[in-house]
Amino acid sequence: MDWMAGAMRAARTRLDAAAHNLANVSTDGFRKARADAELTARGILLRVRTTDTQGALRHTGAPFDLAIVGPGEFDAGGVKTRLGAFSPDRAGFLADAQGRRLHGERGPVFVDARTTIEADGSVRSDGRETNRIPLPHGSSLRSGFLEGPNTDAIGEMIEVLNAQRAFETAQKTLLAIDQVRERAVSDVERLK
Amino acid sequence: MTNAMFASASGMAAQQINLDVISDNLANADVAGFKGSVAAFTDIRVPGAIGLGTAAIGTHLLFEQGKLMKTGGAFDVALDGPGFFIVRKGNQVAYTRAGSFERAPDGSVRNAEGWRLDGVRIPDDAMRIDVRSDGSVAIDTANRKAVAAGKIAVVSFAAPERLRPLGATLYAATRDAGRAVRAAAGDDAPTRIAFGTLEASNVSIIESMMAILAAQRAYEANSKGVQAADEMLRIVNNLHRS
Repeated sequence: MDWMAGAMRAARTRLDAAAHNLANVSTDGFRKARADAELTARGILLRVRTTDTQGALRHTGAPFDLAIVGPGEFDAGGVKTRLGAFSPDRAGFLADAQGRRLHGERGPVFVDARTTIEADGSVRSDGRETNRIPLPHGSSLRSGFLEGPNTDAIGEMIEVLNAQRAFETAQKTLLAIDQVRERAVSDVERLK
Repeated sequence: MTNAMFASASGMAAQQINLDVISDNLANADVAGFKGSVAAFTDIRVPGAIGLGTAAIGTHLLFEQGKLMKTGGAFDVALDGPGFFIVRKGNQVAYTRAGSFERAPDGSVRNAEGWRLDGVRIPDDAMRIDVRSDGSVAIDTANRKAVAAGKIAVVSFAAPERLRPLGATLYAATRDAGRAVRAAAGDDAPTRIAFGTLEASNVSIIESMMAILAAQRAYEANSKGVQAADEMLRIVNNLHRS
């Protein structure tokens, strides 16, 4: 019976994760959550983690919309994010919608009309490197693109259905166990 | 289940905002000088737990160049490149890329809503108006040719995306956008003024239609999430059979 309660809790967590992922199908740079179930001696154990698969790139044309192809994250004022929607603030430093400045190897990234950002992460003004956005080996940067979420509505929809049915199955099993116990109780009574 | 329900509900609310923004873009797709926006979202993260869905964090203006259309209007001007015209009404100042102006009886150059274009005055006896690519205005009168009649000022902002929209095509300066700086215009400057031309909106109708379809389906998918959570709560309520 405890095992079935665990199975129902696991189904609930899977639904929570799928609903969260579904809610974010329009959130650029979003990383989907995944609940992985594992069968142990104490019942089903769930581990929730965020996945690192690449999201689809979307062309925006804005010169300071940046997308990382491969692993790596932007440092927006200490916050690590995959969302590369930056634009200059009034002082000329690249900042996100909440005003957090993008940090490169040499501090906040300053841009002007002549600045370009190259695929290797280097920030160039008139061809001279002024800053560099750190990237892990093998990753590259695309300017004029944003990375969409790495969730897809179809996969999450199926996960919602799976979670709902798993929940129902656990409930039916629970009821069956309950019935068996009920029988046991009444039969014992009759034997007396 | 309640977490899932709220996450899905937040997704539905987000798609509604998304749809509002796309509809606004579509409604203004034919307005000269209009710039489209996109809604931006962020996930709601909770330390040590699954997130709780999504939240709108406002809209981004997209200042991509619109196509230039020949109109032949008496005082139609378009900016080919970044920057804004300065327009005034009373003591209000606004910035715009919509360049459909006409000469008013008092000699000033105004748009349909009565906003006056900064720096230009056309005398009564003007017979022909010409605007050069640097914004300088010259007129021909009955007995003199190429008389200077002012210069259209172009300004730029460090962060135009952070301007405050006042209507479909007018913007107000904000602290975050930075100061309005006079920008050079002309054939060898980044911005050129085109006369007898208007800048079309930068909204793509096809892309907007596709975005509407995607938003509608995403809304539906999220409503299924609410249904699933509701169904599971029902199952919980039926656990205890009497």
